[in-house]
Amino acid sequence: MPGQALPPTCTFLNVGQAFAGTQNVSSMQKDEAWKVNVRLQGCDMQRGYLCGSMEALNVPSAETPVVTFWEGEIVDNKNYTFYTGKWEATKDTDVKHWSKFSSFLELQDDVLKDGGKSFDLANYPYMFMRWKEKFFVNVGTDCGLTIAGFYYVCFSRSDGSVHGFYYDPNSSPYQKLELKATNEGRAGYSFATYQFQ
Amino acid sequence: MPASAAWARPEDLVESLSSLDNTARLKALRDVKNQIIGNKTKKLSYIKLGAVPRVVEILASDTEIPLLVQSAAAVGSFACGIDAGVKAVLDSGVLPHLLKMLQNGDNKVVEACARSLKMIFHSPLAPKSDMFEGHRMELILELLNNGSENVAEVAASVLARCCETLEHQQALADAGGLRSLVSLLAGSVKKQEAALDALAALTKHNQQLSAILIMMDQGAALSLIIRLIRDKSPRMRLLACMCLAHIGKACPAGYGQEDEVRINMLGILMKLLDEPGQVGEDAPGVLADLVTNNEELQKIAQKENAVEKLADILHRDTLPAKQLEGVLLALAELCSRLEESRRQLLDSQVEAPIVAAFGHPCEGVKVAACSCVKSLSRSVKNLRTALTGERLVIPLLQLLSDPSSAVQVQAIAAVGNIVLDFTLQKTVVMQSSGIDQLVHFAQSMDPILRRNAVLALKNLLYMADSVVKGRVVNELTVSTLCELIRDSEEDVQEQAISLVRNLAYGDPDCIDYVFAHGDLLLQAVEQQLSVSLRPEISMQALYVINNVAAGNERHKDAVMDLVAPHKALSNTSGFLLNRYLQDMINPQLRVVAVWCIINLTYPGGTGTSSRVTRLKNAGVESLLQKMADDPCLDVKDRVKTALEHFSTAVTLVATTSGQ
Repeated sequence: MPGQALPPTCTFLNVGQAFAGTQNVSSMQKDEAWKVNVRLQGCDMQRGYLCGSMEALNVPSAETPVVTFWEGEIVDNKNYTFYTGKWEATKDTDVKHWSKFSSFLELQDDVLKDGGKSFDLANYPYMFMRWKEKFFVNVGTDCGLTIAGFYYVCFSRSDGSVHGFYYDPNSSPYQKLELKATNEGRAGYSFATYQFQ
Repeated sequence: MPASAAWARPEDLVESLSSLDNTARLKALRDVKNQIIGNKTKKLSYIKLGAVPRVVEILASDTEIPLLVQSAAAVGSFACGIDAGVKAVLDSGVLPHLLKMLQNGDNKVVEACARSLKMIFHSPLAPKSDMFEGHRMELILELLNNGSENVAEVAASVLARCCETLEHQQALADAGGLRSLVSLLAGSVKKQEAALDALAALTKHNQQLSAILIMMDQGAALSLIIRLIRDKSPRMRLLACMCLAHIGKACPAGYGQEDEVRINMLGILMKLLDEPGQVGEDAPGVLADLVTNNEELQKIAQKENAVEKLADILHRDTLPAKQLEGVLLALAELCSRLEESRRQLLDSQVEAPIVAAFGHPCEGVKVAACSCVKSLSRSVKNLRTALTGERLVIPLLQLLSDPSSAVQVQAIAAVGNIVLDFTLQKTVVMQSSGIDQLVHFAQSMDPILRRNAVLALKNLLYMADSVVKGRVVNELTVSTLCELIRDSEEDVQEQAISLVRNLAYGDPDCIDYVFAHGDLLLQAVEQQLSVSLRPEISMQALYVINNVAAGNERHKDAVMDLVAPHKALSNTSGFLLNRYLQDMINPQLRVVAVWCIINLTYPGGTGTSSRVTRLKNAGVESLLQKMADDPCLDVKDRVKTALEHFSTAVTLVATTSGQ
């Protein structure tokens, strides 16, 4: 847009934004759900980069809530594409997971054809991302949880809701992450800010 | 009668320097000169005995060649390597005599004077400004153009030391210096090196002269310099790179093959890092200049393991200050944008040498160390892991009290990032004197320091708990904060208002701090909003209003009084947020304005319906309805939510009144 002085806006991708919900594990052996809180701590749209913390509560194998630090890649066809190209995810894995999001169906043909490079992602109401946990913040690696895999994520610009599927060749497939943006019990939405020098 | 050299007391020798007998004078001169060569102690002791003025007197008034040659040589010797010697010869008024002798007919005299002049100009005490007095500059250029090999070389190296300010660079250029120096590039190795040295000095931070050099002889001069980056001599390669790095920095995208040349320079400089002596010491600084603001080049450097290589140098035991400064600056630039480079640097265990550099006696080193930390801390991940320790933060905070303002500025910049530890308690900073110092700098006369300090405080307040917020408000005081909001510099205003934004973020007990002095703070923000034309300032102010409106009933009502004063109920022009709801250039402003309304009409509050009514009467609902198809997705979604709030309230009122 001509003369625009300020960066493009996506309300729920503001630093400090909190998300709350659950992660479900459904398999033949067990049916678990634990509470998850996420807080966005960094967002650099130009580089397609996000990061934040993820807190898992009432995890059966852990004594305390487990907090991890994660980094995200935004599929913007500039910095990152739909094809992961690492973390043991093949193109097949990618398509299988993205296809589980209904908002991906519209793009599916384009993605299969040319990786979806021609699609105008900047104006699409959903953002696709990959979130990868990098390290445990408050516990050791023997806490019973793994961070070897990553999440395929579909993020709604309109209400900040997050849907994700965990992929790790050594874990149960399609563990679902479902979060909603939350204003943490306040009577309104508040936005913090910081700036790097 | 002349005393025998082997037995002469120093005092006697000094005495003999003023002997009326030529032979005696010459002998004494030779003896003194031979004794002081390479001997610092002897130099100092003869200086104390008053030898220097007598030696200079010989140069000034004598005419016999041997006397002139020996006195010039003695002057050079006194000035070689010790500042006290340089001071002594300068205080004795040697400069005009040396310069005069450079035009002497005898070669040996000229050469001896040239060497001495070179010694003097090696020293930081060199009388650079004096060289611009009278016709001295023309004289030096004459020597540059017509002098012998050694003389031309000395002339160029004198010029190289004299061009530190814009005025000096300009004066030299005006006297034809650029052209003369470029001509030297066709000469011998020594001439070329001296010329490059001087050209590098002339083009440093000088866009005009850099541009002239680029264009000179249709680019032939530049091409020559580019060729020299591959010369056999390491010093030549370094000086040619230095010259091109300065030109590239002062005049970005100045010439055609620049990108390719820069890549070549990168490889050459990385090898020069290993050279012994002056070349190896200067190479890192040139590398820093080369990669400044050049992300592509930084990426290539990272792939070539530049970071690791420089980090290895950092681990050496004793590094000359210039080299240490250069290495830290290069690392700061290499890590300024690339997370991968930062990770490599942290993996190289550099915390100890960086913290040690904070305590270095040299100002440039301290500034470079702060710059390095600033680059490393542009990363959430690093701030949450490697950079949190007291070992780093406490010494950095201490640099805020450094006597040098250059150090203070860079230290505050680094602190500005470091306070983002992504915890609630900000323990390390809270337990130090950091907040006091930042508050102090927020009232500095220097607008850059003010801005950086307020930014640091803003960052400190990011997601901070009520204890941290209370402390900052108490120490800064609401009245100072109001002054900062009304600061003469827009940059400071912006930071102050976003500090209030962070203050108001969170639960009502935090928002209460905004009202620590009644309405003063909110009024100051609103006033600045109404006069400022800068969108960034408008945005921050709207966020303040928004964040306060996310509070309790008292907070929401205070915002209502601000944005929809009772007296202007009847028309939309009195409604503060209108301007921003209708700002067609900045969707960001429209979004925040709508969020304000969402918060003001948030369901469930005791005053919600009366606020809704007031806003409706001010025409807000109809304005929002017109925005239902806003071109910006975010605005559109928020407008939908806001309109829902309006209709929900109506339904509630209808339901309750129907009972």
